[in-house]
Amino acid sequence: MRNIIENLPLKAVFLGLVVLSGFYSCQHGEEGYHGVTDRIKAESKNYHGTSISSEKYIGHLKTLEITENGITFLIPERKGEIKSYSCTECHTKPLKKMQSEDIKKAHWNIKLNHADDNTMSCVTCHNGNDIDNLNSITGNSIDFDKSYQLCRQCHQKEFKDWTGGAHGKQISSWAPPRASKTCVNCHNPHSPHFESKWPERYNTQKVKERK
Amino acid sequence: MSNKEKKWFSLNLKNEKKSGGCGCGKTTGSCDSNTKELKRKDGVDQVFDLKMDRRSAFKKLTASLLIGAGAVSTSCSVFSDEKSKEKAQIDWEEQFKGNYKLMTDEEKSATVDRLVRSYQLRTGKTINMSSKNAEKDVLFGYAFNISKCQGYMDCVNACVEENNQDRKSQMQYIRIHEMKDGKGFNFNDADDNYYHEVPAEGHFYMGTQCFHCDNPPCVEVCPVQATWREEDGLVVVDYDWCVGCRYCMAACPYDGRRFNWSKPEIPENEINKNQHYLGNRLRKKGVMEKCTFCVQRSRNGKNPACVEACPTGSRIFGNLLDPNSTIRWVLENKKVFRLKEDLGTEPKFWYFMD
Amino acid sequence: MRRFKVFKNLVGDSIDIITHGSKKYHLWMAFLTFVMLVGMYCYSIQLDEGLSVTGMTDRVSWGLYISNFTFLVGVAAAAVMLVMPTYVLKDIDFKQAVLIGEGIAVAALIMCLAFVVADMGGPSVLWHLIPGIGVFNFPNSMLTWDVLVLNGYLFLNITIPFYILFKHYQGKKAKTSIYLPGALISVFWAVAIHLVTAFLYQGLQARPFWNNALLGPRFLASAFAAGPALIIIVLAVIRTYTKFKIEDKTLKKLAMVVTVAAQINLIMLISELFKEFYAPTHHSESAYYLFFGLEGKTALLPWIWTSIGLNVLATIMLTFHKLRNNFRILFFCCFILFVAIWIEKGFGLIVPGFIPGPYGKIAEYTPTGIEIGVTLGIWAMGAFVFSILARTAIKIETGELRYKKK
Repeated sequence: MRNIIENLPLKAVFLGLVVLSGFYSCQHGEEGYHGVTDRIKAESKNYHGTSISSEKYIGHLKTLEITENGITFLIPERKGEIKSYSCTECHTKPLKKMQSEDIKKAHWNIKLNHADDNTMSCVTCHNGNDIDNLNSITGNSIDFDKSYQLCRQCHQKEFKDWTGGAHGKQISSWAPPRASKTCVNCHNPHSPHFESKWPERYNTQKVKERK
Repeated sequence: MSNKEKKWFSLNLKNEKKSGGCGCGKTTGSCDSNTKELKRKDGVDQVFDLKMDRRSAFKKLTASLLIGAGAVSTSCSVFSDEKSKEKAQIDWEEQFKGNYKLMTDEEKSATVDRLVRSYQLRTGKTINMSSKNAEKDVLFGYAFNISKCQGYMDCVNACVEENNQDRKSQMQYIRIHEMKDGKGFNFNDADDNYYHEVPAEGHFYMGTQCFHCDNPPCVEVCPVQATWREEDGLVVVDYDWCVGCRYCMAACPYDGRRFNWSKPEIPENEINKNQHYLGNRLRKKGVMEKCTFCVQRSRNGKNPACVEACPTGSRIFGNLLDPNSTIRWVLENKKVFRLKEDLGTEPKFWYFMD
Repeated sequence: MRRFKVFKNLVGDSIDIITHGSKKYHLWMAFLTFVMLVGMYCYSIQLDEGLSVTGMTDRVSWGLYISNFTFLVGVAAAAVMLVMPTYVLKDIDFKQAVLIGEGIAVAALIMCLAFVVADMGGPSVLWHLIPGIGVFNFPNSMLTWDVLVLNGYLFLNITIPFYILFKHYQGKKAKTSIYLPGALISVFWAVAIHLVTAFLYQGLQARPFWNNALLGPRFLASAFAAGPALIIIVLAVIRTYTKFKIEDKTLKKLAMVVTVAAQINLIMLISELFKEFYAPTHHSESAYYLFFGLEGKTALLPWIWTSIGLNVLATIMLTFHKLRNNFRILFFCCFILFVAIWIEKGFGLIVPGFIPGPYGKIAEYTPTGIEIGVTLGIWAMGAFVFSILARTAIKIETGELRYKKK
């Protein structure tokens, strides 16, 4: 009789522990969110911004601020990076006249390998009369810093993705203010295709492991 | 009689028992001088307890005890030089410190200082270690663009260099899987160790690493809470607290964790000296490690090494709580998915396509 | 004070009988010591260089050590098969064998703890587990549950037989009011230790081979087949070499337990095979690897098919009364059943759980010499511990060893 009494509490304790552990191990996460998206929704309600900034990583770059598709971000300036800018330093006369004279040849070897004959030629983007700027399909003048406005004429999907951040690269930092590379920072506008290459590494240990 | 027979078996017993028994082999009578020592022992159990102590535990305890004993003796000794005394002191304190998660900020910076000093004493070089905590209002998220990845593996290299991973076992946190078009996400038939020109015709590439789940199974199962999810969403490991049971590795459905089966070897000139306690500081053998979204970089506002290194821009990283971040734009405007969603782990690593 | 005096004498006396014996006994102990020393040497190499000297990799991160650990927890749990009938059902036939059974449980548990420590990457920091000075992740981590139940069971299985032996050593009767509650608890506790160990694997959603409802019950069934099988063999050895009397009835009843457990184990095996192979899914890959090999990787095939063959053979033979009651056949069946279940719980469970990996990659596992050395060393240690315990217990029980006042 005494044995049963002595045993009962222990059994109850054991059962109790099992039940309790069930509550503890409920996979809800400590705060009780049913998934990351719930957490994001809940926690970004009180978003005040962070003290972390991308300043120290992009501060040294020359950038300009643009707003496209309602999104504001920084892009690197282009004009300062082009060695032979401004174009009018050499292009003083119309192109035809320059071709006939004995002027030192510069970027004469640019091969245009972008779309096809029906779509692209030099004058698609460059205006012979206003060589310091680019020009759009409709004849509007486009600043060299904002060359992306040319690309978007054909590549609307990539442009939309780029303004959002899904296409292209952010410069160095995830923190605001956001700085993104422009189209021409990665793609050569005259020959935008990327060649294939070999991978950066080969893991010989994995091969051994899987023998 | 008894001494001779005791000779050719159970040698260890003899050594222990000599101090305990009379040595005369008599089973009757008592030797009062030795009762004190035998008091703690409880009969037959003491025999195998001892066996347990000497055989199994001895070697393991020796390491820590010797360090302690050495520390004590060198600290007290007049003749050992200052440097080795300091080294011993540091080793002693490091051996017996607590779990990083439970430390106060002062304790955290104290342990970082000790580790930096210890490295300096051992190699003469200075490293830069941080114990920066999670920022408020930050929850890190990651997105991977499957259309853009061309399989270059620049990310793998950058990660290995940034995080001081063991070169001998060619540890890599990131795996890039080359999959054939038209077969869906067939990981079984994927090749994650290819070596030919990329991108290969008719194939696409997907990268995997630790996904920093919001409901991480690895955190649940760790018996000593050496791994946990930080406030900013990063799942981290305290390398000095890990006991090396590898339960977390069995629990991870995404092959996110790596174990140091031997002492990690990194060439001196390749060691990344900008370190974080929870990130890329130098580990020892027998502990777990994993991708930390480059905590030493991301908590300072920098992108992780893989994001930085990718030439195609297929890796996107940012603060999920910032409504203006690129990662939020991706989640809201692209068709995203995660791997093994049905397991309920809530990874913070999404995949999408152009 | 008087108790300490008796303690001291018990220690002295038991040392005496342990260190004296027939030549066979000395040879046995010498052999075990030698194997233990080999194991220690291998373990020292492992401590020095790290776990890279084993065959484990990031893909298959648990191997021979954890396989043996899992199996031995089952063997330890099976001691309850003797405790329950003796104390609960008051079946006196089993009474003689109980102490031996508990001795096996203790030896098996010590082996379990040794295997776990041998498997650790950082054995010198195991103090991190101790609640109070370390961090004990209870109740989230099943490993912590396992630590608690195993140590609790070890405590039970040391204290209860010790109390009984201590009383008998003095020529007194052991009071049932003291040991019976503990004995009853240990019945439930034995089931608990093996269920908790099964839950270690069962709770991992990342490993579909283990993440099924049948794993826990399967563990129990195979434990209650393998454990008593070992006990039968050990009792047979004791019967032959010592004056300890064990009746045929006891062995026959134990054989019945083994038979039923083995049959249930087979039924569970059939159930598992059906689930995996009737409508195979992506989750059945581990089973395919284990039974048929995947992509030409067939390392486990000979092991599992031997295990199944021996298992089926033993179960069928044991089912027939005529065969089971023939002791020679019984011992043979017990032996092959023990081996079959050792393979099944070890290589047939732990290793295939990791293959294929989370992304379908196959990396096979082969234990290295060092692993095998440490494993054999720990088995020898278990046998050594058991020999010491059994010898003392038998001498006390047969009345040869008694406390003699001055």
